Amino acid sequence: MALVHKLLNGTCILRKCPKPSVASYPFLGTRFADYCSSSLQKPAPVPGKASSQRKTEGDLQGHHQRDVALDITCPEEKPEVSFDKAIKDELKNHFWRLKDDIVNRWIGPEGRPLHEVLLEQARVVWKFRGKEDLDKWIVTSDKTIGGRSEAFLKMGKNNQSALLYGTLSSDTPQDGESSRSGYCAMISRIPRGPFERKRSYDWSQFNTLYLRVRGDGRPWMVNIREDTDIIQRKNQMYSYFMFTRGGPYWQDVKIPFSKFFFSNQGRIRDAQYQLLLDKISSIGFTLADKVDGPFFLEIDFIGVFTDPAHTEEFAYENSPELNPRLFK
Amino acid sequence: MNPLIFTTILMTVLLGTMIVMMSSHWLMIWIGFEMNLLAIIPVLMKKYNPRTMEASTKYFLTQATASMLLMMAIIINLMHSGQWTITKVFNPTASIIMTSALAMKLGLTPFHFWVPEVTQGISLTSGLILLTWQKLAPMSILYQISPSINLNILLTMAVLSILVGGWGGLNQTQLRKIMAYSSIAHMGWMTAVLVYNPTLTMLNMLIYIMMTLTMFMLFIHSSSTTTLSLSHTWNKTPLTTTLILITLLSMGGLPPLSGFMPKWMIIQELTKNSSIILPTLMAIMALLNLYFYMRLTYSTSLTMFPSTNNMKMKWQFETKRITLLPPLIVMSSLLLPLTPMLSILD
Repeated sequence: MALVHKLLNGTCILRKCPKPSVASYPFLGTRFADYCSSSLQKPAPVPGKASSQRKTEGDLQGHHQRDVALDITCPEEKPEVSFDKAIKDELKNHFWRLKDDIVNRWIGPEGRPLHEVLLEQARVVWKFRGKEDLDKWIVTSDKTIGGRSEAFLKMGKNNQSALLYGTLSSDTPQDGESSRSGYCAMISRIPRGPFERKRSYDWSQFNTLYLRVRGDGRPWMVNIREDTDIIQRKNQMYSYFMFTRGGPYWQDVKIPFSKFFFSNQGRIRDAQYQLLLDKISSIGFTLADKVDGPFFLEIDFIGVFTDPAHTEEFAYENSPELNPRLFK
Repeated sequence: MNPLIFTTILMTVLLGTMIVMMSSHWLMIWIGFEMNLLAIIPVLMKKYNPRTMEASTKYFLTQATASMLLMMAIIINLMHSGQWTITKVFNPTASIIMTSALAMKLGLTPFHFWVPEVTQGISLTSGLILLTWQKLAPMSILYQISPSINLNILLTMAVLSILVGGWGGLNQTQLRKIMAYSSIAHMGWMTAVLVYNPTLTMLNMLIYIMMTLTMFMLFIHSSSTTTLSLSHTWNKTPLTTTLILITLLSMGGLPPLSGFMPKWMIIQELTKNSSIILPTLMAIMALLNLYFYMRLTYSTSLTMFPSTNNMKMKWQFETKRITLLPPLIVMSSLLLPLTPMLSILD
């Protein structure tokens, strides 16, 4: 408790915030910051502001004491807003990435020599070792349709994993048109090149998805979307289940890509198609198991590899009765 | 697909191209293009999956736009000349619009974006038809209107196509995309010499079709669509590996293989017409093409690529029937000594 008090004071002084009231201490323990600001690291003091700290310390005592949550930017501290600088930085960033793109083209696919890319048998695609890794993911829940589930994403202990946690609630929103509710999802952002060009992953030399996760026993669904230019195909995805064990031990989940089944607009189709791996856009984890209550999923990394023992191309058959068009 | 229906559709594709090549009335030519387009769509979607549907949609949209532009150019030409016969195009606007329309159909820069996407989305056999047969009709129209095409625009498109075909194919590991970029580059070579000597365009087209046919047949034979699966052919059929080497080097334009013949003739023709910088640039940019062919041969034929033991025996449940592969291979690699016989093309 004393440590928290000291940390709080330290944080607030450096950020020129008023001291939090004593009454707010019990609340701070349960106050989870959102994913972008969950570490207890003290921000490094800005050199320009160091000299003015001593002056403001005296002022702080006289300030009206307010509830301030950890790590949220203090209202007094206004961030520097410079439109020109922001535009220049953005342009510089994009041109830098374009230059890297062109230089990498000479080296080989994805900036590595061709033989290295061809000989690769395992690749870690997403790992969670810092804040910037969390920025590659979007967390959604049925709040978008008016439901009451909540989902958050933050870095786990020692910055070695990501923790997706929250509460699932299957109370349907009372808007007259939704009959079901209660889902949370974590979806990866589509990879972008210079000038926000859409890129895609090419996993055609791999055949299995590898996930190192630690869950709470809930069944999750892994969804993969392909890169497409047609609007109608944005609703199509390939899914499979991931059953978590919920123990203290990490779980290695290996899902071959041949097992993924096709669904369109959330419905599994009679006509099943193979997941083609040369233009993968994003992967997502969804929880919608109709069980209300808290959940969590800790993810260490997500990778793809070639399993030489797995020779299946596609696990599902199409039926001539249900889909005669496919057999004409 | 029902064999009778499939035969009818293929015959319609054939008929469409024949109508384009043999008509003298602009409207018939346009009808031929439309027949060709509508009949090729089920051929592209033969193996149905969402990716094929996307590729066919993209193909249909670009080709329909090109047909619309062509119709507009035909009508402007009609307004200015008062007749429908295909002779030369009387109005420069109509000529530019027609060149753009035909460039879109062929996949020349800056209208090349659909070629890799569509070729990648469809099966190998459909890709074969797309990159060989579908080029005949637009090229025949370009041949017929060649006296009235704006030289600057055509040469710009040609040089840019060679550059884009070389640059774009540099880092591809998907074989169909490599063939698509190779097609873009070859179309560039063909259109560069169109205004000077259209006969050489036809020669280049013939040799390009033979080489592309051979390459696709070899890919179909080894059922490979990525560089990695092609690099395992030394395990399955070492002879195919050698043939891939020879055909790829021929496509790169290396003497003494047949692929060198059109490049040599084109550079000679351009130099005869006092154009020095242009063929130099074209020859330099052809090296980009050669680079990615060499990369493919390096991993396929020149090295015994490592593979796990399971990969050695890739099961093929149906034997692939490859028609005319031996004569195609001979023609795509050994025709260079017949160059003096080119005078029969005049």
